[in-house]
Amino acid sequence: MPSQQELDLQISPLVQESLVHNSRTLHNLQSLTASLFGVGAGILGLESYSGFFFYLLFSLVTTLLVYALRIAPTSISSSPSAATAAKGGVLSRYFRSPFDFWTAGLTNGLAGFILTWTLFYGLVRA
Amino acid sequence: MMLISKSITAFGSLLLAHACYSAREHSTLQSFRAATSAALTSTPAAATSLPIDIAIETVVAILVILVGLVLGTSSLRPIQWREWAGKIEREGEDGFKDNNGEVNRDYMGNPFDFIEGRPNFVDIRKQRREFTEWVKSQGEQQK
Repeated sequence: MPSQQELDLQISPLVQESLVHNSRTLHNLQSLTASLFGVGAGILGLESYSGFFFYLLFSLVTTLLVYALRIAPTSISSSPSAATAAKGGVLSRYFRSPFDFWTAGLTNGLAGFILTWTLFYGLVRA
Repeated sequence: MMLISKSITAFGSLLLAHACYSAREHSTLQSFRAATSAALTSTPAAATSLPIDIAIETVVAILVILVGLVLGTSSLRPIQWREWAGKIEREGEDGFKDNNGEVNRDYMGNPFDFIEGRPNFVDIRKQRREFTEWVKSQGEQQK
């Protein structure tokens, strides 16, 4: 007896290429913007917790902007069916789990953030 | 869309570069002043933080670049098979172009193409009629 999730996948299959394409697009954007935030944090001269809080705040802003500018407008152009609306809105059209979408950016760009943060901190305050 | 996003990003980078240069100038000025005042009065100068205008400029520059970059991302694709296939059916190649107007590499066309060309449904008589008409027209052209 297959589980409920397997049955769901068989009834409404997913396209692997689209999944990969969407998460890669998001990943590229986040690693690019993370190093940008590092530049900002270095210029502002943030240290320890305030720097990480800065990163947290701005990566949340990034995902919010992606949602507002790239995902939300598509729900107007194409009428959302009742099934997708029941399952969690527009976000489920492009990403498997909303949790991944909102939090993946935090780990994606952390290394790049710290790299440029320390670099610009040193450059500005040398 | 691409031009807008690129120009927004360029403008934001300009702001960020200016903010960075200002912060650098500020810190060198601070250390210079601290050194001279220490030599003169021997009282340690208080380390002042960044002026508020540079801080605001930095944050605004980051937000501007952010908007530019987000606008420049390639459009997402539906992951549900039925929506994805419906999009291909409705929009064709136009729905799968990247920002430079080229069709994406992993676009593989209509997944139901094989249904369109099933040999059981080929109308042989119609094709034969078309062929004879073509032969006739060729013959008339040669006369």
